[in-house]
Formats: sequence, structure tokens, C-alpha cells
Amino acid sequence: MTLSLGNGLAALREQIDAPVAAFFSSCVHCGLCAEACLFYTETGDPHYAPIRKLEPLRRLWSREFTLFGRIGAALGLSRPLTEADLAEWEVLVYDSCTLCGRCSLACPVGNDLTAMIRKLREGMTAAGYAPEGLKKAAVRALTGISPVGVGEHSVRKLVEAQAAACGIPIEMDKEGADWLVTISSIEFIAFPEVLGALAKLFKAAGATWTIASDAYEATNIGVQIGSRDVAGTLVQRIVDAAHRLKVKGVVTPECGHAYQALRWEGPNLIGAAYDVEVIHIIDLLDRWRAAGKLKTSGKDTSRLTYHDPCQISRRGGLEPQARRLMAMVAADFVETADAGPWNWCCGGGGGLSANHRAKDLRLTVFGPKKRQLEAVKPEGLVTACSNCRNILEEALQHYDMDLPVLGLVEMLAEYLDEEPS
Amino acid sequence: MSTKPALLPLLDSHGISRRDFTKYCTGLTAAMALAPAMAPRVAEALERARRPSVIWLSFQECTGCTESLTRADAPSLEQLILSAVSLDYHHTLQAAAGHGAETARLKAMAENAGQYLVLVDGSVPLGDPGYSTIAGRSNLDILHETVAGAAAVVAIGSCAAFGGLPAAAPNPTGAVSIGSLITDKPVVNLPGCPPIPVVMTAVIAHFLTFGRLPELDSLGRPRAFYGDTIHDRCYRRAFYDKGLFAKSFDDEGARKGWCLFELGCKGPTTYNACATVKWNGGVSFPIQSGHPCLGCSQPDFWDAGSFYRPLSQPWGADGHLAANAVAAGIGIGVAAGMAAIEAKKRAAAERQPVTLADLEVKP
Repeated sequence: MTLSLGNGLAALREQIDAPVAAFFSSCVHCGLCAEACLFYTETGDPHYAPIRKLEPLRRLWSREFTLFGRIGAALGLSRPLTEADLAEWEVLVYDSCTLCGRCSLACPVGNDLTAMIRKLREGMTAAGYAPEGLKKAAVRALTGISPVGVGEHSVRKLVEAQAAACGIPIEMDKEGADWLVTISSIEFIAFPEVLGALAKLFKAAGATWTIASDAYEATNIGVQIGSRDVAGTLVQRIVDAAHRLKVKGVVTPECGHAYQALRWEGPNLIGAAYDVEVIHIIDLLDRWRAAGKLKTSGKDTSRLTYHDPCQISRRGGLEPQARRLMAMVAADFVETADAGPWNWCCGGGGGLSANHRAKDLRLTVFGPKKRQLEAVKPEGLVTACSNCRNILEEALQHYDMDLPVLGLVEMLAEYLDEEPS
Repeated sequence: MSTKPALLPLLDSHGISRRDFTKYCTGLTAAMALAPAMAPRVAEALERARRPSVIWLSFQECTGCTESLTRADAPSLEQLILSAVSLDYHHTLQAAAGHGAETARLKAMAENAGQYLVLVDGSVPLGDPGYSTIAGRSNLDILHETVAGAAAVVAIGSCAAFGGLPAAAPNPTGAVSIGSLITDKPVVNLPGCPPIPVVMTAVIAHFLTFGRLPELDSLGRPRAFYGDTIHDRCYRRAFYDKGLFAKSFDDEGARKGWCLFELGCKGPTTYNACATVKWNGGVSFPIQSGHPCLGCSQPDFWDAGSFYRPLSQPWGADGHLAANAVAAGIGIGVAAGMAAIEAKKRAAAERQPVTLADLEVKP
């Protein structure tokens, strides 16, 4: 058993770097991060101010990495972090932060609070203070492949069924395919039709693709629980599969944190630069659209809006791509307030969807999204993250709002011209 | 100077018409930031046959302030109003000398007790009074004697207002400002080396018109003239905002009239009206003539580093001391940084990876 307070503090010390020191030094205590955080705006509880969630990390940095902090510590003017501190903060760090990144965007001095909460979770996990739901998911992802236990056998069945339904064969483990496509377990379970949609789109674009039987899972529980060991193992799996199948690139599916883990954190987690391209499916589809490879006919005439997934729009920069694709299929597109980089989180990011004890809070913080939707009254809500989609459906049902939630990839496939041009 | 001729005939004899006088009064009113309707009241007060007396004392000074007021080329309205009409005692300007002059002062003080204005230029030597005496009497003595029955004191020029050049380091005479010596009377500071003429007459006119002093700032300066920095009112400000600077006195920027900040202009920290009122009858002011502002109306301007050092460059500390301080700072910073990196490395070596077994939830 390696989890202990000492190990957690060592993990935190390892996380402290120049950006952390600069961020804590430059905080002007303005409180704008609180106003940007859905947990604060929906509860009015100042405990949920993002910068306060970072207090353990700040205390450790101040006490051990600053001159005056070290003098103060030697004189007994500050307390070291204790088990009780970590236990108290576990709830703040895991249950009341979706890593949505809105606070980082709001910070007037440019402090990336979200990245620091991600760092703080490293220490929490190493000290044994991670929520049970996330731990169980991590065990499933490490022992099997999927964090929710979707095994290779189930995946093969689903792929076969969807290939049959759309009439286009989908070959798993096909060496030399152009793209290795990863899928989120939520898609396998709740939205398997996306496999058929992908088959149509890849065919239309004249690109070949495959799914790896040992690395089909896109999600990365490691970046959610906050363990670079777990996260690195999961990224390495996909990189290895890409090498084994000699693909040109890896596609991440409609999943926010999977994109964050594979596209941005990945090389740091495995300690090596990628030699294959990693691209989000929305980015790839927009590339094909620009090249004239995707032709659609007809549009959805109902009033549609788009929910920007935090990790894909705000933290991933794929907001214009999604708008351009929406324009291909939506005749009556309407933007909600704060759409784009300032969009509000669905409430299920950052591991909250797997953290069962946070369910009530998750529904409470759906407030801003609910108000956004009530203001424009759409007839359909499109998004590009299956986790958002799942959480949105759950919350809409909870609040008795009758609004279908759709995936952008499936929408596009629906209006795609059957005959490739 | 005991007889006081009526103002208008006097002006007339110098070729200044009533119209000119009215225009001057209107300008003065505007300069003091008073309502336009006040202009006739200003004119009326100046025209009055009998006005409160003005006594001008000169201590450790260079007569530059008087020169500014009288401007050698032609007699100005400012000079005529002040010297010909109200001034009962002025070392430089009075015709009388010796006991006659001192008698005029004492007489004016007695006749206008509690109502006269005392104008002072120059600082007072406290370290060794012998540096500046009049008929064997120290400046301090004369000041206290004259101010005792005054209504208010106006400290003219940077020496009187802040100590000025005589007080510059190492201050051999122990020079101090007038304000630091007068505690029981209102003191107006009109700093500048020299101050702008209209600033002097405007304060006097204000006092004559309303019987009180204009609104002052925290350094005792009239807000109407010292409310803004030269920089904020400078016609070259647009170049500063665009980042266009003259780098030397003969480069293209200097010829094009760009901002003089990098040549040491103290405009951004200097509160005065030069950029708006200007000098020599509104002809120009230093920056317009291509030279940076020296900041002559600010306290201790003589000791504030080189006139040609940009405000953004630190000064004051000895060069070696500053260099050593920077080196020490870098040394401490690097050492602290190395220690932090070591601590981080130790932590990385010490940390046990999170394993599958660790994550298993025990029932």
C-alpha cells in the first residue's frame, strides 16, 4: 500500500513548477473566478470559489517553496497539511469542480486555475483521497480496457451490429488503415449508432479507419482522478496500438476529456512526442468539409442550438469547426447566451459523471445551462461530447424539459449524400 | 511708494486701453477656473482705489521670480498691477533705500495690519543665518516680523515653496521653505523656477477680489494652475501614446516634434500650467522649444537625478550599490530556485506510483 499523506505531499511537491509559483504569486484576490464558477453562482457558497479549492496546494507551495513561507514555517507560523485538510478538500476538489476551465478564462491575471486543480488531484489520489466512483472506474480501466467495463467481446458485437445496420463493413484491427478511431464507453453503451455514422462519413471522405481491439477506449480516467501513472498507461495503450496498426493518425471521438488527455496532455504523460497525428473527429470532419469531401443535402428545419463542450470548445479551440458543421445541417440555428468559449458546463465534466455522491450537486449546477436553454427555447440540442449528452439528457429529464439531445457526428451522417461525389 | 495712482489712468499712460484691461481680467478669471460672470468683479477689485497692501520679501533667491514677473522687454499688465499699484515694499523694484525703504515697510504693515499680503521669494537659511541678512538682520527675523500682521503669505518660486536650489544637497546654508516656518497663517505655494507670471497675479487678484485664497492642493498649490501634470496637458502627449519618442536632440524624432520622455522629460510627474498658459505672453514653453521639462516646480527637483535621465530609469542609489543589489537578488533568486527544483526532484524520487492495488476499494 503506497497511498499515504507523505506520498500525497510528495506528489504535490512534484507538481509544483514555475507556472504554479507564478500563478499563486500573481493572484490579486479579486474573486472573479468565483463569479465564473457554476458551483459558486448556483449555490452562492464562497467555499466553492475556485481559488479556495486550491488552498492545500497554495499552502504547500507557500510553506516549502517561498523564502518567507519557509522562514515562517521554521518559526512555527504556518501549519503543515494534515490528513484532515485533505479529507476536507477531497469534496471540494472532486465533487465541485468539473475542470470546465471557465475560471482560468475569467482570471484577469491569466492564472490557469483548472490546471492547478488537475495538479492538486495528483496529490489527492496519491494520498488516498479520491472518490470511490473514480477509483472503481480506474480499476476497471486498468484491468480491462473500459472504465465502465465494456469488454472486447461486447465491442465486437456492437461494431458488427452497427456495420450491418448501415451496410458498410467496419474492420477492427486493420493494419495500414488511415485512422485509428477511439470510441468512448458512453457511446458504446448509450449511442452506438455513432459507429454507423462514422462508417458513412469515412466512406464519403474516402478514408479508411479501424478500431483497435486492445485500445478502443478513448476516455482516460487517469486525467479525471488525477494520476499521471494511470493516465500515462492509458495513453500509451493507444499510442502502442497506433504503432502496431501503422496508422497515420488517431481520432478522438465525441468526448471532451478524452480529447484533453490524448491531444494535449498525452505527450507529457508518456514522456515522448507523438509520431502520429491526433485529431478530434469534429476537426477532421471540418477538414474534409473544407476540402469538399463531405456533401450534404437537406437540412434539419427545427430550431437547433449547440452546446459547446468545455474541453472541446473552451479548452480545445474547436468552436468554429462545430459552427461550420452545424451550418451544413441546421436550417434554423440559434446560439444561446454565453455560447462559445464562455459556455456553461453541463455539470458532468472532470469525473463528476462517475462520482455518484455528487449527483445532487451536479443537478443543482445545471442551472446556468437550464436558463440558457429556456431563453432561446430550442427544439433540439446538439453537442459533440457523449458525456455532455448523457448528463444533459439526465438533467433535462430531472427538470421535466422535453428537449432531444443529438450528436453532431450523427447529425452530419444523417444529411450526408449517400453517393460520394 | 506711498501714493497709489488710479489704475486705469496708469495703464493708459503705458499704452494699455480699458479694453485690454477688461480682456486681461477675463483671461485671469478663466485661468483661475472661476465662472465667467466673475470677470467684472475681478476688474472692479483691481480698479479699486485702495487695495490691501502687498509686501515682497526676497531671501536666498536669484531674482529670477521677479524677472519672470517684470520681464525685461516691456512692462506687462502683471507688473503694472503689482508694482505700480499695490506693492509697498520690494527690494529690487523700489526706488527707496536704507531706512526709507524699511520705514515704508513698517508703515504699510501698521496701516494695513491684519489685511496685507506678504509675498516671499527665496528660502531662509536656518543652519547659518549669516548667509543671508538685510542690514544685519536675519531673514528669519524679518520674515517673522513682517508676517506677524499679515493676512496670508504667498511663497513665490520653488526656493520659497520647497527650499529649491539653496536647499539642494548638501544644503550648506540649512535652507528651508517658507511654509515650514509659518504655522499660524495661510501659506500659498507657487513653485516654479520661476513661476508663471499669471499664476502670481491670479492668486493676488483672487485674494483682492474675494478676500481669501484660492483652493489649494496637498502641497499648498492653487489647484487651478497645479491641478494637472505638464504631461497630461502637453501637445506632444499624442506621440507618447503612440510610442513615438525622440531618442536624441538631433534625430528625426526630435525634428518631427515627438515626445521627449526618453530624453528625460519630467512632464509626467510635474504639476504646473506651462503646457496651457505657456511663457512669454503665451508664445511657447520648454517642451514646445524642444527641451524636456526639468520638473522645476516639483519639490527637490534639483536632487532628482539627471535632467536627461528618463523617468523610467531608476536613480538615487549609487551605481555599484544598485548593481550589487541586483546581483545579490539574482543570486538569492537562483539559489532559491535551485532549492525548489531540488525539492521537486527529491519529491519525484520519493513518490510511489499509484498502482492498481492502491485503487481497489476495500469493502
